[in-house]
Amino acid sequence: MPQPIATPVLAPGTRYRWDKVRNQHQLVFPEGMIVLNEPGQAIVQLCDGRTTDELIAVLKEKYPGAEPAGDVHEFLGHLAKRGLVREGAQRD
Amino acid sequence: MTDTPLPRPLALLAEVTYRCPLQCPYCSNPLELNQYRDELDTETWVRVFNQAAELGVVQLHLSGGEPLVRRDILDLVRAASGAGLYSNMSTGATVVDGNRLEQLREAGLDHFQVSLLDTLPESNDRLAGAPSFDRKREAVLGAKRLGFPVTLNVVLHRQNLDRIAEVIALAQAWKVDRLELAHTQYTGWAFKNRAALMPTRGQLDRAHAEVERVRAEGTGGVDIQHVLPDYYFERFPKACLQGWGMVSMSVAPDGFVLPCQTAREIPGLEFPNVREHSLEDIWERAPIFQRFRGTGWMPEPCRSCDRREIDFGGCRCQAFLMTGDVTATDPICELSPHHHLVAAALEEAAQNDPPLLYRVMPRAGGAV
Repeated sequence: MPQPIATPVLAPGTRYRWDKVRNQHQLVFPEGMIVLNEPGQAIVQLCDGRTTDELIAVLKEKYPGAEPAGDVHEFLGHLAKRGLVREGAQRD
Repeated sequence: MTDTPLPRPLALLAEVTYRCPLQCPYCSNPLELNQYRDELDTETWVRVFNQAAELGVVQLHLSGGEPLVRRDILDLVRAASGAGLYSNMSTGATVVDGNRLEQLREAGLDHFQVSLLDTLPESNDRLAGAPSFDRKREAVLGAKRLGFPVTLNVVLHRQNLDRIAEVIALAQAWKVDRLELAHTQYTGWAFKNRAALMPTRGQLDRAHAEVERVRAEGTGGVDIQHVLPDYYFERFPKACLQGWGMVSMSVAPDGFVLPCQTAREIPGLEFPNVREHSLEDIWERAPIFQRFRGTGWMPEPCRSCDRREIDFGGCRCQAFLMTGDVTATDPICELSPHHHLVAAALEEAAQNDPPLLYRVMPRAGGAV
C-alpha cells in the first residue's frame, strides 16, 4: 500500500475541464480523458496546493454530514496510480 | 446503423501543413505531396478550432508535416487554447529552440510529443534524411524543463526494433512522461516501403519480451504504450478509428476533412472542405462520413459477424491498399477471403531487403 498523498496536485498536462456540449466534468490529459462524477470533480478542483486534510475539511463543510476521508484517499490513490495526480509538497 | 444518436467527435487531427524538413520513409502523409500545397490561412484554422470546440471535440492534435514550420503556429495554439481545446503537438522537433518552447507554453500548448527515429544518432539521422538527433534531444529536455508533459514517439520497424531496450532506456534517461512504441502502420509511405520495414517474427517476439520484462520490473516513471503489429499478432483487425466517423476527424492542410488522415489516398472518395462547410455539417451530413459509419455498408463476412461492432471491419485504407476494394474486410482478419495476402506480404518481406524509399519533400511554399 503506497503512502497516501499529503498534498495532491494535478500532474503536468492534466487539467479539469467542463464540457458544455456533453454537460460533463472531465479530467483531460495527453491522449486521454476521464469523465468525473460530482464528488470526483469536487476533489479534483481542490487539488490546488492545499493538503489532503484541508481538502477533506472543505468537502465536509460543503457536504454536512458526509465522511469523505475514505473516498478521497481512495480516489486520489487511483488518480496517482494513473499518473494524473502527484505529490505536490516535500515530505519532512 | 442502430438507433443510438450519433456521438460527437472527441478528437480532431489538424494537419496544419505537409511541409517537413524530415523525410521519414513511413510518413503518413500522401505520396503525391505536391498535389496539396494550398494551405489554409490562420483565420480559417481559427474558425475550424472554434467549430471543433462547439461540436464537442476535446483533444486537438496539431500535426503535419512539421507543424512548427507554420509561421503562425503560436496564433494557432492560442486559438486552440482559447477555444477550450486540449492541445497536443506532434513534432519532429528540429525547428524549435528554448525560446520557441517558452512561447508555445505561454500560448497554452498542453502536451508536447516528439518523434524519434532511432536511439543511434547516425541511424536516426539517416532514417530522417537530415541531422536531427541532437535537436530532438534538446527539444525533449527543454520541454521537460518548462514543465510540459512530453511523449516520445518511436516508430518501430525492421531497422530499429532490435534496439527496443535502448529506446526504453533513452526514454527513461530523458525522463519523458510517455513512450509510444508505435509499430509501423502500413499505409502511405510505409505501404510503399513495407518489404523494407516489416520486422521478422523473431524480432517482434524479442521486443515483446523486453517490454514485458521492463513492465514487470518497473518502467521508471515512463508510461509505456505498446501495441503489437496486426500483421503478425492479430486474428482480427484493429478497430480502426474506433469506428469510421464515430470518434475523430482529420483536417488536411488544404482544408479537406477526412475520417482518417490517410483516407485521401483511396481513389474515388470525395471529401468536403472547411472552406465551404462547417465541421458540424460535415460530421453529421457529409456522405464520406456516412459511407463506412456503422455496419450497414458491410459485405460478408463482416455483415453477419459477431465482431462487426467490435472492429468495424478493420481499416478501410489497409483493405483498399491490400485488396484494391475499399469495402473489403480488412485482410488482417482470418475470416477475410483475402487473408492469404498477409502471409504473402510477410513472405515477401522475409525474402527481400529493398532499399528504403524516402518521403520526397515538396519545395518550400504554401500559404503561410
